[in-house]
Amino acid sequence: MKIWTLQKKRVGDWMAALRAAGKEVLAPCEADGLLRFRPIDDPSAIAVRPGPCPFPFKEWLFPPHQVLFSYQFEGGKVNLREEEVLVNDQVGLFLRPCDAAAIKILDTVFLSDPPDGFYQLRRSHLTIVTLGCRQAVPSCFCPAVGLSPTSLEGSDLFLWEEDDRFLVYGVSEKGDRLVQVSPDLFEPGEGPEPDQLPSPLPFMERKEPLTNVGQKLQGLFESDLWQEVGRTCLGCGICAYLCPTCHCFDIVDESDAYSGIRCRNWDCCAFPLFTLHASGHNPRPDQPSRYRQRVLHKFAYFLQTFQQNMCVGCGRCSLFCPVGMDIYQIVLQLTGRCLV
Amino acid sequence: MAAVRTDSERTEKGWEPKLIAFVCNWCTYAGADAAGTRRMLYSPCVRIIRFPCTGRIDPHFIVRAFEQGADGVLVSGCHPGDCHYVSGNLLARRRFAIFKALMDFLGLEPERLSFSWVSATEAGKWVEVVNSRVEALRKLGPARVPWGTLSGPPPSLNGRSVAPMPQEPLSQVKPDDYQAVESQLRQLAEGLLATGQVKAVLGYGKGSLQQATPIVITNATEANQLIFNEHCVQNLTVYLTSPSFRSLRPLGVVVKACDSKSLVGLLQEDQVKREDFRAIAVSCPGVKVNGRWADKCLSCDQRIGPIADHIVGSSEPKSTAGADPRDWEIQTIEKWAPAERWNFWMNQFSRCIRCYACRAVCPLCYCQPCIADKNRPQWIPTSPHLKGNVSWNLFRALHLAGRCIGCDECTRVCPVGIRLDLINRRLSLEVAKRFGYEPGKDPSVPPPLATYRPNDPGEFIL
Ligand code: SF4
Ligand code: SF4
Ligand code: SF4
Ligand code: SF4
Ligand code: SF4
Repeated sequence: MKIWTLQKKRVGDWMAALRAAGKEVLAPCEADGLLRFRPIDDPSAIAVRPGPCPFPFKEWLFPPHQVLFSYQFEGGKVNLREEEVLVNDQVGLFLRPCDAAAIKILDTVFLSDPPDGFYQLRRSHLTIVTLGCRQAVPSCFCPAVGLSPTSLEGSDLFLWEEDDRFLVYGVSEKGDRLVQVSPDLFEPGEGPEPDQLPSPLPFMERKEPLTNVGQKLQGLFESDLWQEVGRTCLGCGICAYLCPTCHCFDIVDESDAYSGIRCRNWDCCAFPLFTLHASGHNPRPDQPSRYRQRVLHKFAYFLQTFQQNMCVGCGRCSLFCPVGMDIYQIVLQLTGRCLV
Repeated sequence: MAAVRTDSERTEKGWEPKLIAFVCNWCTYAGADAAGTRRMLYSPCVRIIRFPCTGRIDPHFIVRAFEQGADGVLVSGCHPGDCHYVSGNLLARRRFAIFKALMDFLGLEPERLSFSWVSATEAGKWVEVVNSRVEALRKLGPARVPWGTLSGPPPSLNGRSVAPMPQEPLSQVKPDDYQAVESQLRQLAEGLLATGQVKAVLGYGKGSLQQATPIVITNATEANQLIFNEHCVQNLTVYLTSPSFRSLRPLGVVVKACDSKSLVGLLQEDQVKREDFRAIAVSCPGVKVNGRWADKCLSCDQRIGPIADHIVGSSEPKSTAGADPRDWEIQTIEKWAPAERWNFWMNQFSRCIRCYACRAVCPLCYCQPCIADKNRPQWIPTSPHLKGNVSWNLFRALHLAGRCIGCDECTRVCPVGIRLDLINRRLSLEVAKRFGYEPGKDPSVPPPLATYRPNDPGEFIL
């Protein structure tokens, strides 16, 4: 693995060079009190806080609302138009290791044969620059799902803060190419293997493994425990919408007399409508059964199909749940381990 | 976004205002018909859609018309007292007053949305009303269709820094004020469960990440898990209508003074039966959101709400009540020109991701299914684009007008920080002013938009 160093004060120059090379830089910044990845020019607008950015990067690969195609009736003809928007390469800057790992999970879903063209297009234009975590926040549980504050999963470049500079690890060729955009900003450097970096891992409290609980959870399918743990779930969509790996969508046609679109919008298994049949029957009739789906999808079904969990331990769902449903504690409780 | 016609197309063809008129069959339609038979000339820019009664004209139709490219909407029906269904127009008058107040607050130019009473004999008045509306629209130019795109940066409430934020009175609140309540609450819950007066108690417990989270206890020995402190923000009455709580009736539910008001709403609307729950009213000094006293608490003058089966702690009214900082914010917004207001709100709504968390936490959003989930027809576009978001936010607000008890849960949970509280509060003020009604007081009176008075103000009606 190649290692460089980059002076912090030169990040702005690097961003300018990336932009000059036709790339759009997306980094967490705050507007109207809302932290979100946005296209930025000015490095001083970047707002990196400990822990993951509340809004995950997902929205740039899999937007909340995406038009697939549109049509118009004109002079007795139907004009179909494909909606392809992306022209620029994009650089995702300062994702957390969990976020980068989440993109790998999205890849598994959207790029497995046959690949999803819309996702593929955006993904092929994206390079991911991750910032390792010098500090974790109490909701973080990446170690519980086999990751860590310094894991490289899904990253193209991996950054580690050291005083007034970053150690820059080249993880993939795509990443190296970003360095080559302005090679004079990067000095060849030395550093320990990423897993030897002084990460907060030893001090993190939430690391009871959740990686091998699939069978046990599935065995509980009929258990009354779900009523107990899922009863207070309100069925709002916050957990799924802020989760970097959740990927369910709804295909919708919207039209009027002259024109129309087909689009896909985010959807969420906590909604009653998600499973409502045309007959009126709903196989998941209440919130506990919907919450069970969420947990099993993340820790059992996905594991069965793709040999990995569908949770990267970012803790967003648990932190932002309006009623404090903490998926880490709940899985521990379900699998009969310690409480609080 | 599926636009009906773009503005440029319309300009090429020479723009003419498009006024959609929703009229009742018995009076205004007959009046318009009379104008026709008398060969009276008036603007052809009006498109008439006939309804049995103004009472049938849901604000949805009006929203739909704007969405589809109308430049203005006119709603017209029988004069008060003339309704062929006795009171359809009187109920409609209340609904339209609130809808108009909402649209004004959001920044729709007032001339784009008009109401009139036109009887079957008033052909002349019909001609006059249509012509004057069309002229007003011609002056305004094309509507910002559909619902306008974003134009420039929105005005800002300045991070509220200039708002008078009287946090001081509440600084007298001490941890002891909660602790006494907490220990009494545990004793009470223990007793209620031990004697079988309730099957379960729904209260607050310590969360693994959050300082307080809803918990359900079914055993008297678990009563010491209950907590009460400044972090107990959630309004637990939202669970009373949840199917997962049905088996726990009668349920003891811990309520703060504000939460207790939503019990009034649920009883008023027949969503819970009085015998299904016992309100355990905790004497509440106030709660904090993100480290600051919640806005609602700054003006709260009660410790115990209207519905209380068991009172825990003092029920003395509070001396700490001051002004609500939202009133200042609302006044600020109202000083802006319509275009600025519109810009502000479109910017807010554009962020909505349609998670419906605002609906999920609201104790009075209990409809199964919600209008937003109905797809035959699809009244509210499900897509999180501006058009869908505006529709959703309008209808959330309208459906709660006169019903919202101001627990501010929707605003607390909105992951993109939309100021739903300002809209709710603005409509509450309107309801109070017009109908002298305050929600969450008396379960025996009907909600204000489900009733009318013959002399309700109708000053906005032509
Ligand atoms: S979960 Fe792990 S990788 Fe993600 S922000 Fe927390 S410490 Fe960093
Ligand atoms: S777990 Fe929490 S965030 Fe997720 S749907 Fe339920 S209440 Fe909402
Ligand atoms: S389930 Fe929760 S903790 Fe896991 S990846 Fe999703 S938001 Fe993060
Ligand atoms: S509004 Fe009043 S009763 Fe409600 S939380 Fe605030 S202080 Fe307590
Ligand atoms: S909570 Fe906020 S983002 Fe979610 S639907 Fe409501 S207004 Fe939209």
